Amino acid sequence: MANWNNLTKGFFKENPVFVLLLGCCPTLATTTSAINGLSMGLATTFVLILSNMCISLLKNFIPNKVHIPCYIVVIASFVTVLQLLMQAYLPSIYETLGLFIPLIVVNCIVLGRAEAFASKNGIGASAIDGISMGLGYSMALTILGSIREILGSGSIFGWKFIEGDAILVFVLAPGAFIAMGYLIAIMNRLLKKSK
Amino acid sequence: MNNYTISGSPHVHGGESTKKIMYSVIIALMPAFLFSIYYFGFDAVRVTLISVAACVMVEWLIQKFLIKGQCTISDGSAIITGILLAFNLPSNIPAWMIIIGSIVAIGIGKMSFGGLGNNPFNPALVGRVFMLISFPKAMTTWPTPQPLFSNALTDAVTGPTLLGHIKEGLAQGISAQDLIIYENIKDFIYSGSLGEIGSIAIIIGGLFLIIRKVIDWQTPVTIIATVGIVATACWLIDPVQFVHPMVHIFGGGLMLGAFFMATDMATSPMTMKGKIIFSLGIGALTIIIRLWGAYPEGMSFAILIMNAFVPLINKVCKPTRFGNTVKQ
Amino acid sequence: MAAKKDTLINMFVALFVICIVSGGVLGVVYNATKDPIAAAEAAKKTKAIKNVLPEFYELKETTVKSAMEDVEIPFHLAYDADNNFIGAAVETFTNKGFSGNISLMVGILADGSIKNITVLQHAETPGLGSKMSEPEFKDQFNDKKAGSFNIKVKKDGGDVDAITAATISSRAFCDAVNRALLTFENNKGGF
Repeated sequence: MANWNNLTKGFFKENPVFVLLLGCCPTLATTTSAINGLSMGLATTFVLILSNMCISLLKNFIPNKVHIPCYIVVIASFVTVLQLLMQAYLPSIYETLGLFIPLIVVNCIVLGRAEAFASKNGIGASAIDGISMGLGYSMALTILGSIREILGSGSIFGWKFIEGDAILVFVLAPGAFIAMGYLIAIMNRLLKKSK
Repeated sequence: MNNYTISGSPHVHGGESTKKIMYSVIIALMPAFLFSIYYFGFDAVRVTLISVAACVMVEWLIQKFLIKGQCTISDGSAIITGILLAFNLPSNIPAWMIIIGSIVAIGIGKMSFGGLGNNPFNPALVGRVFMLISFPKAMTTWPTPQPLFSNALTDAVTGPTLLGHIKEGLAQGISAQDLIIYENIKDFIYSGSLGEIGSIAIIIGGLFLIIRKVIDWQTPVTIIATVGIVATACWLIDPVQFVHPMVHIFGGGLMLGAFFMATDMATSPMTMKGKIIFSLGIGALTIIIRLWGAYPEGMSFAILIMNAFVPLINKVCKPTRFGNTVKQ
Repeated sequence: MAAKKDTLINMFVALFVICIVSGGVLGVVYNATKDPIAAAEAAKKTKAIKNVLPEFYELKETTVKSAMEDVEIPFHLAYDADNNFIGAAVETFTNKGFSGNISLMVGILADGSIKNITVLQHAETPGLGSKMSEPEFKDQFNDKKAGSFNIKVKKDGGDVDAITAATISSRAFCDAVNRALLTFENNKGGF
């Protein structure tokens, strides 16, 4: 039951983007299309699961005073591994996400889960937490990316359904803020109702 | 909802109501509207009607189905937003773009914050800037006006606004004096948005509002003076790089913004001192964007930026309590 | 079991071990991905060159001083199997863009005509200047020669149809193409 809760909380009740408001920088910057949002989400999920498991294993080995530098080294290593792998085998996605892959290191959601969950729980629960939060994050980024792509370029997952330009502001930074603001409002309303 | 406003006595009723103010503003906008009909013909009516209808409709729908509160559309503020939005648009803009602009102006610019009086930004300008960024092509190709009763041209011609023409010319290294020779600019001296072309009509409407004490005279005068002084100074220093100040004062949306948008009660500071700071900021930002920015016209950005500063300005310039004397 | 005590030696050991292990892992991954990364980058560049030039047998890399200013421009010279010069893919640029630099890959055939152009990098306004990477705009340069086709937008007296409402970007594009053509003409004999 606890595991089930751990698995589902990331999607709705504790969704990292819409409820916890963590990791906004890559959320706003990389969701110009559904596919970009999804790939960024999955990249973060990869780092999140591995760093959660690793930190949960190491939690008794790390003294309190140096836990942040230790976590950061662990997270940064996984991010660099991911970056090298993407560069080698997925160069086209790497090119679009570019700068934001190394920035996963400072994504609050990764360090946040390490602090709040993995450092207090066992490896199994931490892995589930990583999957839940990572997929919840991916879901949020994909929704945001889809909305921005539909409104901003008139296409979805690269499939164009209207000719020419749509409401361009949605593929630009201001549109990211507007779309995210309204998604958070909708999410709040739904959560309020479900209570 | 709390029906009572609690504040220190004494209270005096000014005989003013939101409705009365709003309808005065609508009357004041009429000269400019007639002017735009003269220059753009039926299109001006089309754009304005669609914009007003869409704004009122959006406000009604949101009130009825999302907020589920009292119906507020009769106060006339949505009509003003609609007219002001239309005045910021080119006359050949497609209807669906106007409707999206109206949804943004009322939905995002006003109702998201809780309706009239709670909106930090001028709704019409939120709509216009949204449209400018979203539809850059449609919002920067202006039809050359075909006045009523003149020989109609067979094809609709589009061109830049006067300010756009000057900006582009200067970027190419043409001197400012050559750029404003009448022969070269006579075709588009009146091209622009509906409310941009008739500075005189806007001033008439603005004076009406000042006489009716709906708006104060200090705000528009400070804005226009700031723009004028900076433009004159630059022009005196280097008349090759900088165009004659009259172009900046009477060109573009300066008059419309100064009289009708910067004076919006909900989005401007409360005290006179605050209003002067606010107006100085708008004037300075406008002329900075016009002279050195990427866009030829900076009025709408300047007002929106200063709108964001209003809470801070209000904090610095608090209204003095009635009966308080200034401590020496 | 609680976390280890905050003694100097514990902190030192923890950080040291974690850093050593991370370093080791990164080293292994780096070595394993080094070749695929180099291959992917080379493939990307070759693809861009192939896109702007006809079939070729081998490439020679060189840089040539720009005809307009003191900057070296990368030239990718293409030869056929008999070592005859086919054309050059020129990585040209302009700094007159509406926002930031624009870099183009211009394929120029041995006779000085443009084969094709791809946009490598730009930061122009989406929906306006960004239309420069669309075929409607950039393909008007294909098969054109410097002498017979005036690479200037029509507003400036040239033959190029500018992108609507994006004259500055169109002008910058022409500037970059001109830079490539002039530099190519100046060094024509050397290839």
